[in-house]
Amino acid sequence: MLRRSVGAIELRDVRRLFRATTGTLRRHTKEIVALDGLSLDVGEGELFGILGPNGAGKTTTIKVLTTLLIPTSGTATVMGLDVVRDAKEVRRRIGFVFGGERGLYYRLSGRDNLRYFAELYAVPPREIRSRVEELLDLVDLRPRGDERVEGYSRGMKQRLHLARTLLHRPRVLFLDEPTIGLDPIGARELRRIVRQLHEGGATIVLTTHYLFEADELCDRIAVIDKGRAVALGTPADLKSNVSDLSVVELEVFGIDAGTVERLRALDFVDSIVVEQRELRQVLRVQTRIAERAVAPLIAAVAAGQVGRVAVREATLEDAYVRLVGRVE
Amino acid sequence: MTAALRLAVQSAWVDFQEVAVNGFLLFGAVWQPFFIGVTTMYMLRHRADFDPMYVIVGTALSGIFSTLLFAGSGAISHERWIGTLELLVASPASFFLVIGGRLAGTTVFSLLSLLLAYGIAALLFGYPIAIAEPGWFAISLLFAVAALWATGMFFAPLAILWRAVGHFLLGLEYPIFALSGLLFPILLLPGWTAPISNILPPYWAAVAMHGAARGDLDLPGLLRAWFFLFLTGGALLLIARLLFERVLTRARRAGTLALS
Repeated sequence: MLRRSVGAIELRDVRRLFRATTGTLRRHTKEIVALDGLSLDVGEGELFGILGPNGAGKTTTIKVLTTLLIPTSGTATVMGLDVVRDAKEVRRRIGFVFGGERGLYYRLSGRDNLRYFAELYAVPPREIRSRVEELLDLVDLRPRGDERVEGYSRGMKQRLHLARTLLHRPRVLFLDEPTIGLDPIGARELRRIVRQLHEGGATIVLTTHYLFEADELCDRIAVIDKGRAVALGTPADLKSNVSDLSVVELEVFGIDAGTVERLRALDFVDSIVVEQRELRQVLRVQTRIAERAVAPLIAAVAAGQVGRVAVREATLEDAYVRLVGRVE
Repeated sequence: MTAALRLAVQSAWVDFQEVAVNGFLLFGAVWQPFFIGVTTMYMLRHRADFDPMYVIVGTALSGIFSTLLFAGSGAISHERWIGTLELLVASPASFFLVIGGRLAGTTVFSLLSLLLAYGIAALLFGYPIAIAEPGWFAISLLFAVAALWATGMFFAPLAILWRAVGHFLLGLEYPIFALSGLLFPILLLPGWTAPISNILPPYWAAVAMHGAARGDLDLPGLLRAWFFLFLTGGALLLIARLLFERVLTRARRAGTLALS
């Protein structure tokens, strides 16, 4: 269900530059554009996905919105509050999770971590104990709450991060690749919790590399590349961009770059992605002519190099590939 | 106020659990004073004018000072390393208060060096360890620790901007020992260094604690030392408060809060 009302988050022409220094004796500074005039709106209660390749500006966007980075130019607001001018007020209203295992006090127990963060977020003292237990229950960590975090698995740490970010009942949540590195069951469990939070009315901004995750969870998705939004819409909207396409998947062995370029030049080929899988590669060819493309494609690849061949409907991932032209 | 106090106490407790097993701070609070105390007492024990109480207090102050000099910036570097620095900065809590609490946790830990200095004098060398003015000594210790805590707070925000701040602090440690007269009187130093000593809280800490421990400073002299401890410590804390805000804004502008 798409729930959009007033704007929970607004980004207007946000630019963010970073300086990078090169050289040892003769040092040079160059500017890297992380966000290049990005504008976005997220409605209250919406689960909004941000997709994009590495370096596209996803994490920078989240860090601007969580007040950790000051935009070079442009404005960003959360719940109507400016992230630079009203940083402290914004911080009271938001919660965030950055993917990965870091960001916890390893020598403290999970329960003590939550208690400390509850103090940081000024949770009333009489509520801290019950809130911590409630959240340990939510993320299924109560039986191991007294153990030091250093003994937790990656999935447990990630669930503890999520509990940590919910302590003060934030109205807006930023989840930056929350399922990265988790096993399939851990990731599924985390998605279940995210869905539950969304159903509870939280506004959630989620960045992910897993397109099926965005497809499954998000009301709307922005695809960003090189610091700009290149597409925005519901998963269905984005998929409709490739409704005219089918995907031919060819499993090949030892294909060279020249052959890939030859395939790319075929007039019925819209785009090609090569995915390396151990000793073999999988070519994903987007085309408008579906089954009729199979024979010419096999013919263009050297005999004996082709293994399994399949034709399927285009997915969100294919829409993404068409937009940004590459996969990670 | 209560919430601020709770936050500071909780931060101190977290610090105590996180750094109590930190080898570097253990060196500052235990091993370094142990070596300073033992070698100084061993070298000077046959001199006619040797006063063991001077060495005991100097040894203790050197341990407290070294620990607190590095602890604030060390806490920030540690937070950056474990990935919690951004979480602290992006929380609504005052980062100044959080680090203040963290440093207070280390302050308690640093008092180990005082016990150690007395232990070395009494158990290894058999000196009497009677404090001439115990009440004045307790007050002097309290003011001294507060002023040294403020010194640690003054240097702490540098770690936000400058990841190698530890090297800089290492270079400051021994000159401040000498300029503050922790282990020998500053009268042995050239006259032009006196104004520098006078603006250093460890110098006034040494004056007050040496004076109260040996009983050779009258009450007006002690009051003067306490006043200057309050003044120098307060000034550093005020500057630290401003530095924290400036430095955090600069780090948010430069994007240098995280490790990568």
